[in-house]
Amino acid sequence: MTALDPGPDLKTQENLADAKAAAAGLASSRARRPSWGLLIGQPLFVAVVIGAWAIWRSRAELDSIEQRQLDWKLVGQLTVEHLKLTVVATIIVLLVAVPLGIMLTRPRARRAAPVVVAIANAGQAAPVIGLIVLLAIWLGFGFWTAILALCLYAILPVLRNTIVGLQGVDRTLVEAGRGMGMSSVSVLGRIELPLAVPVIMAGIRTALVLVVGTATLATFIDAGGLGSLITTGIRLLRYPVLISGAVLVAALALLIDWAGRVLEEVTRPRGLG
Amino acid sequence: MWDYITERNSQLLYQSYQHLSLVIQCVLLATVIAVGLAVVVHRNPRIASLAGAVSAVGLTIPSFALLGLMIPVAGIGTATSVVAVTFYACLPILRNAVVGLAGVDSTLIESARGMGMGAVRTLFRIELPLAWPVILAGVRVSAQMSMGIAAIAAYVLGPGLGSFIFTGLTQIGGKNALNSALVGTIGVVLLALILDAMLLLVGRLTTSRGIRA
Amino acid sequence: MPESEPEVSGVDIELTDVVKRYPGQKKPAVEGLSLHIPAGEIVMFVGPSGCGKTTSLKMINRLIEPTSGSIRIGGEDVSRSDDDDLRRRIGYVIQGGSLFPHMTVTQNIALVPGLLGWDKRRTAERVDELLELVGLDPNRYRGRYPRELSGGQQQRVGVARGLAADPPVILMDEPFGAVDPITRQRLQDELLSIQEELRKTIVCVTHDFDEAVKLGDRILILTEGANIAQYDTPEAILANPADRFVADFVGAGAALKQLTLSRVSEIELGQPTVAEIGDPAPDVLRAAKAAGDDSVVVLDGRRRPVDWMWTVDLSDVDNVPAPHEDTDLVTIDRRATLNDALDTMLMSSHGSAVVTGRRDEYLGVVDFQAVLARIQDGNGQPEAEVAQ
Repeated sequence: MTALDPGPDLKTQENLADAKAAAAGLASSRARRPSWGLLIGQPLFVAVVIGAWAIWRSRAELDSIEQRQLDWKLVGQLTVEHLKLTVVATIIVLLVAVPLGIMLTRPRARRAAPVVVAIANAGQAAPVIGLIVLLAIWLGFGFWTAILALCLYAILPVLRNTIVGLQGVDRTLVEAGRGMGMSSVSVLGRIELPLAVPVIMAGIRTALVLVVGTATLATFIDAGGLGSLITTGIRLLRYPVLISGAVLVAALALLIDWAGRVLEEVTRPRGLG
Repeated sequence: MWDYITERNSQLLYQSYQHLSLVIQCVLLATVIAVGLAVVVHRNPRIASLAGAVSAVGLTIPSFALLGLMIPVAGIGTATSVVAVTFYACLPILRNAVVGLAGVDSTLIESARGMGMGAVRTLFRIELPLAWPVILAGVRVSAQMSMGIAAIAAYVLGPGLGSFIFTGLTQIGGKNALNSALVGTIGVVLLALILDAMLLLVGRLTTSRGIRA
Repeated sequence: MPESEPEVSGVDIELTDVVKRYPGQKKPAVEGLSLHIPAGEIVMFVGPSGCGKTTSLKMINRLIEPTSGSIRIGGEDVSRSDDDDLRRRIGYVIQGGSLFPHMTVTQNIALVPGLLGWDKRRTAERVDELLELVGLDPNRYRGRYPRELSGGQQQRVGVARGLAADPPVILMDEPFGAVDPITRQRLQDELLSIQEELRKTIVCVTHDFDEAVKLGDRILILTEGANIAQYDTPEAILANPADRFVADFVGAGAALKQLTLSRVSEIELGQPTVAEIGDPAPDVLRAAKAAGDDSVVVLDGRRRPVDWMWTVDLSDVDNVPAPHEDTDLVTIDRRATLNDALDTMLMSSHGSAVVTGRRDEYLGVVDFQAVLARIQDGNGQPEAEVAQ
């Protein structure tokens, strides 16, 4: 491979089950310059879309069913539900995957890492709609079943990036820290984790985007979210409702993606390029 | 479970075939579109990076939302599935094709041109073959993704194994709900593995031995 | 700070029969090293790669735990104290500085004082003092991140970080390995002047014997398994290599000295085709062709070299011409040093130099190969002595 530099993307894509996470546009676990166009353009675009929708909603002539479905309060409530699904699932993923990733990079458990990553891979290899339905059959409908499905689906990118990020820390820096008399806990907290933050954050953004998109399907098991506008629209053949749902979900996803980007920039330790 | 499968043997085979066929056709179409686009834009770094951004942002749009958006245009059924799956399948291939083409050593292109090869010939003889492994990696990502999206598309009556999953959903409580959902889910996983193996084989057959990793 | 009084602020280190055996390896990496490192001296560990010099160094601050044996710093057994505690009292400087990229220069240097619980003001003062000591303006560099520094500056900060808590002992692992030769030389000079002030006990691993000679009060030459080949002052080692192994090690450095010690007269000179002004050109060309030469040294009537002509320039003339006014022929005397000869050769378009003897009489030419052969010969001598 002299003529090509497949870059970090390729490496992540080697493993097929990683593919979806990688495909969420976020395979670049490496440090990269922020794209200011996206950082500013994306929220502007979202604002324009939501503004246009709001103007349309207040002017359009809707029949009674449509009016009921697109009631401001209901839409607001669905948005809050969607956000709740996204945030709760992401936080749980964080609380599980980051400590797990840290544990799996410690000398004692290092050998278990491939096994655990393989299990996490398996969670992602299944079609997500199948995962949701199977869990619902097993545990019943509702918010927490949806959360469990979302977590299973989104744990891989955070876990993998935590492991990769920590493994990517220069060994000599760790040894320098130990050599200066820092305890292993202190080296982890003050050197390894800060240096791994950019990679871990990239994983978290991947998880956020996966979760916000997948939460659209939560409506199938009565866990709410903006997806219900789409299913209602299809069931009742009310295109205004259907399209409103789709547009709002897409806008929310873009907004969450943007928030993830901002988070990445904000948490990036100064001093790292 | 085994009874369930044998009972619906023919339906299962038919839907598997439909699922696989939908995904393969969409991915093929997407490859042609995405590589074509990449060839057009990759010379201009600004447009190329724009293509990368579009690919990244496009992938954040939930597939179910896109399916919804397509219904008024393409109606309920196969057409909507095809459009949505193709759209998503394009994105990773586009990104990888841009990256792959940009990664071709410019001195190689220069020497090809210096030998008297025209722009088109250089593209087909030098640039695309060298970028092919990277492009193919994008195709594999696309195929994997498309499998899942096609399953969701069954909700809008698209073809394929997703129908088993949704049948399971609607029959919850019934004796065959679990069987149906399991068969659908596992079937999709198996199809994804088969398709990926096929793509790996294609990769081995179509990648020059000189650049095989 | 002991800056004003250059007393010895270091303490001695005593290694007794230290062994390091890695699981799954037959031969120990360190097979019983005993060594006394006097307080306030710089001791350089040198040896071929894999000889255990770095392992030995890292056992002093217990980054690597010895399998057996004892190490005492200032009389205190290191295995008795908590390892983190121990390391905070030993400076540690490694290749390239190994600065933490997400911390500023100040944060890097203040790390160990922070671990030791110094108060903020004392730490800040100490950081500025150390930056001054290593030749960096505190106001300019205090807040910078490592990537905003050059390699040499990073290395300086690395040294400052090692000195931060004023430890009596400093361990250095290839400290100047990652910088260019000129910067390295300057950093070495700076370390020497710092040491003149502070008189720490410094243990330094290097693979560069010249560096060891330059920096070390003592040099420890190790063979595989960290066996001591010789442990002495640089002067003693250069004058009296203990055995063939040491001589080999010293050899590379000593060979260069041959350049200023040896004379051109000691070298066998090359004898290319010569011609006198006025000789018929075809005859000369034939002779040159027979000898396989593409140039001819032109002499005057008294056998003094006056020109050095390419044969191609002779092919369109009848007789060998007298040289132009501006001929660039440079000759060297047979008593010149090889160093001078090299200088001359580098200026000559022929890649060799014409050598003259008494009254500028032509003797022959000297080329790179001859000088090289001479250096290699000289290298062999100490070995021969040892063998007796």
